[in-house]
This record gives sequence, C-alpha cells and structure tokens, in this order.
Amino acid sequence: MKVDENRCLGCGRCRAYCTMGAIGLVRDIRGRTCAQVDEYECVDCGVCYRAGVCQGDALYEPAPVWPRSVRGTFSNPLVEHKETRVPGRGTEEMKTNDITGRFKWGQAGMAVEMGRPGVGARFPDIEKVAMAIAAVGGVVFEPKNPLTTLMADRKTGKMNPEVMGEKVLSAIIEIMVPVNRVPEIIAAVRQVSRDISTVCSLDLTTKVDPDGGLKAFALARDAGVSPTINGKTNLGLGRPLFVEEVQA
Amino acid sequence: MSHTLHRRGTQKNLERDFVLFAMSAKGVNEVGSGSKLKRFLEILQEHNPVNLGDMKTGNRFITSCENITNSAKDTSIVHGVFASREDLILALKAIKEADLGISVIVSGLLDDVHDCCRSAGLQPHTCETSLGVWGDKDRLPDEDILRFTTMCGHGQVAFNLVAKIIEDVKTGKRTVDEGARELARPCQCGVFNPVRAAAMLEEILCLWGIHVA
Repeated sequence: MKVDENRCLGCGRCRAYCTMGAIGLVRDIRGRTCAQVDEYECVDCGVCYRAGVCQGDALYEPAPVWPRSVRGTFSNPLVEHKETRVPGRGTEEMKTNDITGRFKWGQAGMAVEMGRPGVGARFPDIEKVAMAIAAVGGVVFEPKNPLTTLMADRKTGKMNPEVMGEKVLSAIIEIMVPVNRVPEIIAAVRQVSRDISTVCSLDLTTKVDPDGGLKAFALARDAGVSPTINGKTNLGLGRPLFVEEVQA
Repeated sequence: MSHTLHRRGTQKNLERDFVLFAMSAKGVNEVGSGSKLKRFLEILQEHNPVNLGDMKTGNRFITSCENITNSAKDTSIVHGVFASREDLILALKAIKEADLGISVIVSGLLDDVHDCCRSAGLQPHTCETSLGVWGDKDRLPDEDILRFTTMCGHGQVAFNLVAKIIEDVKTGKRTVDEGARELARPCQCGVFNPVRAAAMLEEILCLWGIHVA
C-alpha cells in the first residue's frame, strides 16, 4: 500500500486500521503532516484502503509485481490463489472432508499458521519451520496449499529464494500424517518455535470416531499440549458423502 | 488452515459465539451450488444471526444481507454468526431439513456444538482444534485485545483498532455497540461476533486508561 502525498490530508485515521502498525505520520518536504507506509512492514492486506476512512482518497496499491505480489495473495482474503481457486491462505481442508475424504481414519491433518495471530511472518521464519517439520521424515506437504507451491524443494521445505525478502500476514504450512505421528510433529514445532522471531498457531484435524472419540486430540494431550475448548466441526451434510469402508 | 479457528476467550465469553458456514467442494459438487449456498444464507437469516457474510461480497456491516445472499456463487464460502445456542439449534434443524448437499461447518465450544448437533439430529463428521500459539509470544498484545482480533481469522482486525475503539468508547465518541460494529467491519467474511465484542468491551472498559493530550 502507498500514500499519495499530494492527496493525504494528514488526519491519521488510516493508522488504527493497519494490521501491521506500519502507517506513520511524517512531515513531507513542504512541511505538511502526511501518512507514510513502511513498505518493509506492510503486507498489502488492503484493510486500510477498504476501511474507507481516507477523506483524501490518498491510499492506493500499485499493481503487484513478483515477488512482492505474494504479500497480497497471503494477506488479503479477497485475492484468490490461482492454483487452488480458494481465497485466503489455505485450502478446503476439513471444511469439505465429508465430500472429499481428504482426512481418513487413522490420519491427522496438521498445520502451522505462521504469523497468526496478527503478527505477520517473514519467509526465513516460514522456511525454518517448514524444514524442521520436513526433517521429521515422511512428511508430505499439502500440494494444494498455496505455500507449498512456493517451496523450491517439497521434500525439505526449502522455499523459493526469490520470496525470502517478503512478509505476509500469515501463511499456512499444511501436512497430513498418520495419527500416531502427531506427537512427533508437535515436538518438532515446539523445538523450532523457540528459534523464530514471530508467532505461529498450530492446528489439528481428525475424523470423529463412530463412538465420538477423537484419538488425535488425545495424542496431543499425551504430548503435553491441550487442544483448546473451541474448534470446528464438519457436520457431514455434504453430498455425495465420501464413504470409507473400514476404520483403520 | 482455518479462518474460524483460534478464537481466544474463556468458556464463559465463548459460550455465545457460534459460526455456521457452508461451501461446496471444488471439482465435486461445485457446479450449481450457488443456489444452495443462497438458500443456506436465507435459512440462517430466519434464525437471528448477529453477522452474515461472504468473503468476496463482505459482511452485513459493509453491505446488505440481501446483497450477500444474492451474490452467492458456486465458489462462495458463506457464513453466519449466532449469539444464542437456541438459535443455532433451530438453524441446524432447518439446514438438515433443507438437505442442501453442501458441506456445513460449525465453530464454537466443541462440547457445546456437539450437544447442539445431537439436539438437531446431526452427527459430527470431522473436527479441528487449535493447539495454541507458539513462538515469540512477547510480540502479542494483551489477551483482552486478542479476544477481539482473533474473531477474524484472516487477521483483518488490527490490534491498534481495538485499542482505538476502547479509547473512542471511553471518551464518548462512540457507544459500545457502535464500537463493536466498527470492529466487525474489516472482517470481510462476516465471522466476527459483534454481540460478543460489545459484551467484552463493557467488561474491559474500566481496565483501560485513555491518552490525555
């Protein structure tokens, strides 16, 4: 995002809406107060623009140019990823699991949401976590996840060097593992999270057992991490329903 | 992985916070699902949602419910927020009855949601939970602020905006309800719960100071 200094009235109303706290007020060369966006910190989420608070119509976003363009695609939910056709940072994941059967009995979906909540993440940190997870071995990064498409090596989690200078509001490292490997992934995230300069949120998905049990959640507890009291539930109303014959 | 996961709060202030949403699966039941998603939104509106939205069209605080409904397309993900358990159960029963064939998801306190599902004759299929926040947590603001901002999973509600709204309410520039609605505006999908926000604003106002010029 940028500010047209000739149009800015210097009211500062846009500042509170900036998700990265990247808008400051400065004096321009004529001595007028003017908003200025710190382009290094800005993630091109577009919130300040959409807030509609700029009386001078001074905020504008230049046409996205690679690799800066990844900021908007990961930070502005109105931008749809070309590969997945899903707006936002992620995939359909468990939301359509009743139809796709993506998560089956005995499997767990795990995701590390880098930069969430609200801090933002730079690609060196994202790469660090992706590589730590890959190093556990036998991990497959979700091919439909837009972050996976930015990996130079999907076996190691190494990112495309061209994006390493970029920052996003959040990006999701998404994997699927056999349910009994949940503790290993938790251990890897626990270890690498001590060495990053941002925050991340960890997700865990599992199919509900016929008796209502959630084995993956129990394994997370055994690994010393308590699942939160709230979460998401797919109600199984989609059709055609994906049918699994045997529970592993 | 999910825009309605990771909502922070206590058992008490999450107990009136349910997000009910729907989408079709790309390449499976996508074609022609727009009319079903539209019907889903119509059903939600019969049961007192406190917010409504679709990522592409926006939420009820930046556009009309009619526009949100009429704009539903095959690729949409449509949402409604409920601040009452009773309304959620009635909405779930109506959705089951409508048999739309699209995927429907509920976010909320898991035990409570599953209890509501049973009341509506539904069986949970797949669950997702948060395993918390990791990393450099010193970079996070007060828990009070996070309880507001995490209601938008895309991170569109800025930490600074919450602080500004608190200050606006304390200095009489906005009412609590006006403040809650302003906080709901940036959350494009319409999953922000303004009723919960208003209740939390009331609760924390006395704890926050204001800047004096």
